Amino acid sequence: MTAPVSRRALPSRRGWQTAGSVSGRTRWTGWLLVLPTLVAILFLGIYPLLFSLTISFRRWDLQVPEQSFVGLANYGQALMDDRLWAALGNTLLIMVVGVGLEFVLGLGLALVLIDELRGKRFIIPLLMLPVLMVPVVVALTWRLLWDQQYGPINAILSAITGQNVAISWLAQKNSAMVAIIVTEVWQWTPFMFLVLLAGLSGVSAELYDAASLDGASWWHSLRDITLPAIAPVIAVAVLFRAFDAFKIFDVIFLFTQGGPGTSTESISWYIYQLGLRFFRMGYAAAVSYLVVIFLTIVVAIYATLWLREERA
Amino acid sequence: MSIAADRAVPVAHGVAARSRRRPRASVGLAARYVVVAIALLFFLFPIYWVVVTAFKLPAEFMARPPVWFPENPSWIQFETAMRLRGVTALKNSIIIASSATFLSVAIGSLAAYALARFRTGGRHFGFWLLSQRMLPPVVLVIPIFLMYRGLGWLDTHHGMIALYTVFNLPYVVWMLRSYIGGIPVEIEESALVDGSTRLGVLWRITLPLVLPGLIATATFAFIFSWTEFLFAVVLTRTSAVTMPVTISGYFGSQGSAYGQAASLAVVATAPLFILGLLVQKHFVRGLTLGAVRG
Amino acid sequence: MDQLRTSIPISNDKLRQYAESRLHRALAARLHRRQLVKSSLATAAAGAMMHFTGFTPSAVAAARRALAQNGDSAEAAVAAANALDPKPAELFVVWESALQAQDPLLFSGPLWEELTGIRITVLELPFTDMYSGQVAEHIAGTGGHDVLSVVPAWQADFVAQGIVEPLDPFIEQYMNPADLDDYHPLYRDLMNFGGQIYALFDDGDTIILYYRKDLIEDPANQEAFQAQYGRDLAPPATWLEYDEVQAFFTEQGAPELYGGASQRVAGGLHGWFMEEYRNKGGIFFDAETMDATVNGEAGQATLDRMVASNLTMPPGVETWGFIEVLTGWMSGQLAMIGGTWPPIGRWSEGTTVEQLAWVPETQVAGNVGYSVMPEGHSAHNGGFMLGVAAQSQNKEAAYLFAQWANSPSISLQRCMLPYALRDPFRLSHYASEEYRAAWATAGDYLDTLEAAADGALLDLIMPGAVEYHNAVDQAVTSAMAGTGVQEALDGLAESWNEITDRIGRDQQREAYAEYTLLAGAYP
Repeated sequence: MTAPVSRRALPSRRGWQTAGSVSGRTRWTGWLLVLPTLVAILFLGIYPLLFSLTISFRRWDLQVPEQSFVGLANYGQALMDDRLWAALGNTLLIMVVGVGLEFVLGLGLALVLIDELRGKRFIIPLLMLPVLMVPVVVALTWRLLWDQQYGPINAILSAITGQNVAISWLAQKNSAMVAIIVTEVWQWTPFMFLVLLAGLSGVSAELYDAASLDGASWWHSLRDITLPAIAPVIAVAVLFRAFDAFKIFDVIFLFTQGGPGTSTESISWYIYQLGLRFFRMGYAAAVSYLVVIFLTIVVAIYATLWLREERA
Repeated sequence: MSIAADRAVPVAHGVAARSRRRPRASVGLAARYVVVAIALLFFLFPIYWVVVTAFKLPAEFMARPPVWFPENPSWIQFETAMRLRGVTALKNSIIIASSATFLSVAIGSLAAYALARFRTGGRHFGFWLLSQRMLPPVVLVIPIFLMYRGLGWLDTHHGMIALYTVFNLPYVVWMLRSYIGGIPVEIEESALVDGSTRLGVLWRITLPLVLPGLIATATFAFIFSWTEFLFAVVLTRTSAVTMPVTISGYFGSQGSAYGQAASLAVVATAPLFILGLLVQKHFVRGLTLGAVRG
Repeated sequence: MDQLRTSIPISNDKLRQYAESRLHRALAARLHRRQLVKSSLATAAAGAMMHFTGFTPSAVAAARRALAQNGDSAEAAVAAANALDPKPAELFVVWESALQAQDPLLFSGPLWEELTGIRITVLELPFTDMYSGQVAEHIAGTGGHDVLSVVPAWQADFVAQGIVEPLDPFIEQYMNPADLDDYHPLYRDLMNFGGQIYALFDDGDTIILYYRKDLIEDPANQEAFQAQYGRDLAPPATWLEYDEVQAFFTEQGAPELYGGASQRVAGGLHGWFMEEYRNKGGIFFDAETMDATVNGEAGQATLDRMVASNLTMPPGVETWGFIEVLTGWMSGQLAMIGGTWPPIGRWSEGTTVEQLAWVPETQVAGNVGYSVMPEGHSAHNGGFMLGVAAQSQNKEAAYLFAQWANSPSISLQRCMLPYALRDPFRLSHYASEEYRAAWATAGDYLDTLEAAADGALLDLIMPGAVEYHNAVDQAVTSAMAGTGVQEALDGLAESWNEITDRIGRDQQREAYAEYTLLAGAYP
């Protein structure tokens, strides 16, 4: 067993001390070794981003012949774009509700499976499978399940309620959102579960021994001992999932294409549609940049907090 | 955040872990089995459903009420789908994903070594690398589409390989850095004293020592390349089209080809299940960029 | 060329008479509107584009010989393709995926390869990706497409972007000009953009109403309907009547039988709204200001009715597309289809082909009646034309394939394929003895399709059409998902105005003025 949260998860000074003193020569060797990676990322990571910045100052639109320089006009328009804000709202909704549910379900499962249970060795790999699926396949699978006519979900609901349930899951705003979130939760709860399980397995038993002597209830020991003990693991798991959920595209592309109306558009889908359905490249680039700026701020706050903690 | 708190995390000891008493709660063993059963049903039924759909004839997958167990399982959907588009897509996916995996590990292990041993670039560099993975890919897809147009790289294997290599690099560097950092530096130092070069040490001593981690990292890089959809759907059409794009092509307005789509889904998913189970031990570490170890 | 026209031997006198009478009507009806008003944009683009001149002399000669012999453009195309030097090994042909693609995959592709040795590789795209896929390929500049699928509504954008090759020079070299007069006049006009042909019309997608004669003519139903509604039960001529008939059968028969279903899934939905809207007197834009006028009374009435009509359709109809409607109809669960594309008429009469094995075996053969859509004007929704990609390296071969597939003889076979989706679009299709004898009421079917085409209402054909249509789909689906009708329509008008402003009001005013000159722009 190792510590659930690695000390080397992010570089720490202590981790490097073993490397000995850094001489001029090794510094040079180091950069030489990093060079290919750096070049590759500059080529297909940084350069496109800068290129995109120049596009965002132009009216690069299939429908408009001349690609004139328009300064910040695209940005101004984007800030006033109701559909963009709605897409941001939808994305955050999917992120918050989805990741929240994944956390609760994942934690519950982890608590159930942390102690010995017959067959655990087989159960855990089986629960791992959704994470391993191609998102497009997940979308296909759940489209089969949600299908209004032939899908098992309506059939099961019909059997349970004794009435003919024929919900058009993907054609109504709220149910489409439910379908999208449930599908996300299905694929990623196992991730949450596995990470939290790893976290729980690292919690020292002595903590509980002390607590049970005090006669603490299950709920109290969960709240006062378990959760604080695995808080860093929770933070990692939630953070990873949140960033991923923010990117949501595949399921929306294959479920609703943003419909009905524009009610399930996510940020990624909206940008895709602007740029690659209607070829409004300049505007799409500006919207992308607003997202980059937004995320950079989030990441910068995170980084600052982390560096400050590191210094303390 | 994770690091800030990581010092507070008590380290578990093998012995203690085995003898622990957890908040077993009021729920008994039976209740735990019930929860596990429900969870298995919830997480496995959809997989069951897509698999049986692949073996059903249209009369069975377009049936009301749904056919829970196909009566005459048939391979015909596989045959049709593979013949029409599946073989090309599978071949492309294999070429692209494995080449990108190989390249990203080859290039990334060098950088990882530098980061682990020479602190190249310092903390900010490491963090910057990591931040590459936080951007939604959609912000890059338009400029890369236009760039690739200029380069003539659209719908080519090398275009997709280059792209996935770069997308995998931050991950590969980050993971291998963590694995290499776990190897005591003294082992290398003794080899260096014996006159080996740095690269020789990396190749003959360090990499073999981190081989399990290397394999796990490569596996995840392969999975990421295999499952990627957005760039593939924008940048490929015919000659480099991958499995996810091909499967998505069945979702048209005349979406009746679910059987064929499902059969390709099975073909695309089976290798991932096998790979995933092979690297099970590294799963959590791999998916959290080493931040959490299972 | 006139000599050529008179020299065509038409073996069937009746057919010739028929074609001549139709031709006369067609010529009289045609407005030549594209010659009258020329869009500055289209003209500029057309002017900027060099006309193809690099014809292969031996191919042209071979085609001439074939045409002189029997005037068959199909044979001319094959002869010319075989005389091409060098002859390309392969053509990349864009086609709608799934059922549509069965035609080039199983019929025309293999047949063309057999005749010419040129392989047809079908690039299948779902309908919703076809516009962007072809534009993206052009922007990408890879020359990866040879033959394009051009929906008339996309034509303005395809021409403005220089995506499609002007075909006049090819037609002049290779086609029997009489074939041009064989297109239904409405469809023929769609081929002509800015005085130039960019694509060959290839799929008559005018929707019609289908109803079950056995149910409508049933005396018991007649009596019950008379008692309830105080009029005779008959195929509906207005949407009000349609809703009554639909409600009547749904009340009687649900869940085994529903009165009707219309396609409600986003993608082609705009056709249903825009058809009814114009039948109710709606217009799209103020011709002076180019302000969108879709949120007025006609829009409300249309959308209100569409939403209310869903209530007596099968539950879940909001996600129904072509296939769901087809499946419901074939299994005998629907008394009417509130408008769909022509293939259902053929399939209803029974098919045993493998490609349709998943469709329930028809329960309605012999009982199907056809009618133009309620209120008299059917939508021509979609409709494919075959174009040649301006970036193709094999323009001549690409054109020859298009001409061959599109020729009267080959296209008739394609429009009769029991498993694919191409629909009659030539006067000779409607008149074909062979087709009219395909089943007992095939004549009615073809006559109805022709009548529907005569009065058909067209998609919006102007720059940005895909965006305008997309906005309609969004407004209609959101109204069906519970957004207020007025709110949805106001949103639609706002979206349309944004699109117009972006493209430019002046340019769009001109394009719209040109559109309104088309016979099928308004009733």
